[in-house]
Amino acid sequence: MILAVDNLCKRYGDLVAVDRVSFSVRRQEIFGILGPNGAGKTSTLEMIETLRPIDSGTVTLDGLDVGRHPRQVQQRIGVQLQTTSFFEKLNLRELLLLLGELYGRSVDPVQLLSEVDLQDRAKAQVEQLSGGQQHRFSVAAALVNDPLLVFLDEPTTGLDPQARRHLWGVIRRIRSEGKTVVLTTHYMEEAEELCDRVAIMDRGRIVADAPPPKLIGDLLASGFKKERVERLANLEDVFLHLTGHALQEE
Amino acid sequence: MRLRWKLTVASLKMFTRQKEAIIWTMLLPLFMVFLFGFVSFEGLGKIRIGVAGGEDEPAGQLAGQLGEVRTVQVTRGSESSELEQLTAGKRHLVLVLPEQFHAASGKELRVLVNDGTPEETQLGLLILRKVLDDETFRMHTAPGRVPMTLQSVASRRSSYIDFLLPGVLSLAIMQSGIFGVAFGFVALRKRGVLRRLSVTPMRPQDFIAAQVAMRLMVLLTQIVVLVGVGIVFFDLQFLGSLLDLFAMGLLGGAVFLAIGFFLAGIARTEDQVVPLANVVSLPMMLLSGVFFSRSNLPEPVRLVTEFFPLTYLADGMRSIVLEGSTLPALWLQLAGLALWSIVSVWAAVKVFRWE
Ligand SMILES: Nc1ncnc2c1ncn2[C@@H]1O[C@H](COP(=O)(O)OP(=O)(O)O)[C@@H](O)[C@H]1O
Ligand SMILES: [Mg+2]
Repeated sequence: MILAVDNLCKRYGDLVAVDRVSFSVRRQEIFGILGPNGAGKTSTLEMIETLRPIDSGTVTLDGLDVGRHPRQVQQRIGVQLQTTSFFEKLNLRELLLLLGELYGRSVDPVQLLSEVDLQDRAKAQVEQLSGGQQHRFSVAAALVNDPLLVFLDEPTTGLDPQARRHLWGVIRRIRSEGKTVVLTTHYMEEAEELCDRVAIMDRGRIVADAPPPKLIGDLLASGFKKERVERLANLEDVFLHLTGHALQEE
Repeated sequence: MRLRWKLTVASLKMFTRQKEAIIWTMLLPLFMVFLFGFVSFEGLGKIRIGVAGGEDEPAGQLAGQLGEVRTVQVTRGSESSELEQLTAGKRHLVLVLPEQFHAASGKELRVLVNDGTPEETQLGLLILRKVLDDETFRMHTAPGRVPMTLQSVASRRSSYIDFLLPGVLSLAIMQSGIFGVAFGFVALRKRGVLRRLSVTPMRPQDFIAAQVAMRLMVLLTQIVVLVGVGIVFFDLQFLGSLLDLFAMGLLGGAVFLAIGFFLAGIARTEDQVVPLANVVSLPMMLLSGVFFSRSNLPEPVRLVTEFFPLTYLADGMRSIVLEGSTLPALWLQLAGLALWSIVSVWAAVKVFRWE
């Protein structure tokens, strides 16, 4: 178990954004948190990433209490924020070198860039990249410290299907190198195709946590029938069944 | 240390790749110097007459009579100190009075004249002659006109550019400190760059240190460029030491950088930064004696401007450039800036935030 989240809570005034969330992630897993906008995915992730203070609950990452050892945790994780940008006026190569320095490492920018298929754009600046390339670059930026655990917050949101699939390939490659990936998404097929395990989150709570085939199997076993049958059920049905509303309605 | 150095180098790279930054920190001050340097604002100011020697009452009387003339400004001091001021170009005439001098004493009056300012000197002599003649005329016992000997003294020819350049240099240091930091930092914060950095083990103080180091390097470059241009193109008489200028500039730079960080702390958005920075910098730009001497300001205003950080910096820089003052002589300016830097660093730390 590389990450264990136990009873994590976050409040903003009266709003309980993260409500007693518990889950754990195994080594070399691609773990997805699936939920609509406002479900509390980003809040959860950013508490784990040391970015937001934890109201209550504990997070243990590689044996370290995140609340108590933020600096050691930061050394072990790679982070892609939901919205982020980098210094202007530096090219990709210079940015990766600089980010590496922040961890006290001399990185090989070419190797990192080829990891996300951007080796040809080393001299470009971030603003000159396409949307998909920018997302891939911020994944590369999350890899500068050779992290154990990589957090990707909606890495494919806003991308066209090709760019999205391209990024899935990149994420699988990262995992195959022995890293663990935790990502958030509100795309059903992404969770189903990419993730080994999915936690479904709604209104600050985790309502299910299992591999996608098991979630679907459990639903079917409960006697669920789709009105118009292409497949017996997909994750979307699981989500609807569990939360009582469609994913995209908010 | 290595991290800070790398961050500094990267910041410098970013800075030099930014066209606007170069324009604001280097070209604009140069433009000001060229513009005002070629347009002469010199016109006739006050005629400054020093009265030396004669601690006695008649001497005081003469000084008083001279001072009543509207265009004359009288100072009194010892002969050596007044001569020093004359050589530095700060007096047009210095009267050296013998003991017990008065218009009817028949004693000779020695007048030292500034050879670099013929107009003011001539006018000053005419006024002096007139005042003495009036006095002689009033005292019926007077034996005749007061004898005067003139002695020309090689003095510094002080031109407007000499006055202006250290002022513009100080202004440039203020502007790049306040605007550069406040604007740049708020932009980084708004774009989420700082947030991204805060998930790395980099500590905030590393980042701040690198920013400050980068800005101070730019500041030293500003000093070298402006003084260099002054010497090459405007025959600037640089009497001081460049190291003193650096030291004074760095202390002033520290104050304005801290003010920049303070403004970045209290501004929510980029849009708020510019008006805030203007509120702080405009009064100083206009009233701290950058372009025009503060002696023309109404007294209450002048008194307030005395304490502006830009006044301390501009006065200090000017004194180093024009008079070759060394740091110990500028303890007042250094102390003023040091006090300001303590206050502004404290305030900046108070309101500082990453997000
Ligand atoms: N800094 C914040 N201050 C106040 N409310 C917030 C803040 N961040 C998020 N929220 C609220 O908390 C809820 C969960 O947000 P978030 O964690 O961003 O969800 P998600 O990433 O699943 O879209 C939302 O209702 C959001 O409006
Ligand atoms: Mg989110």
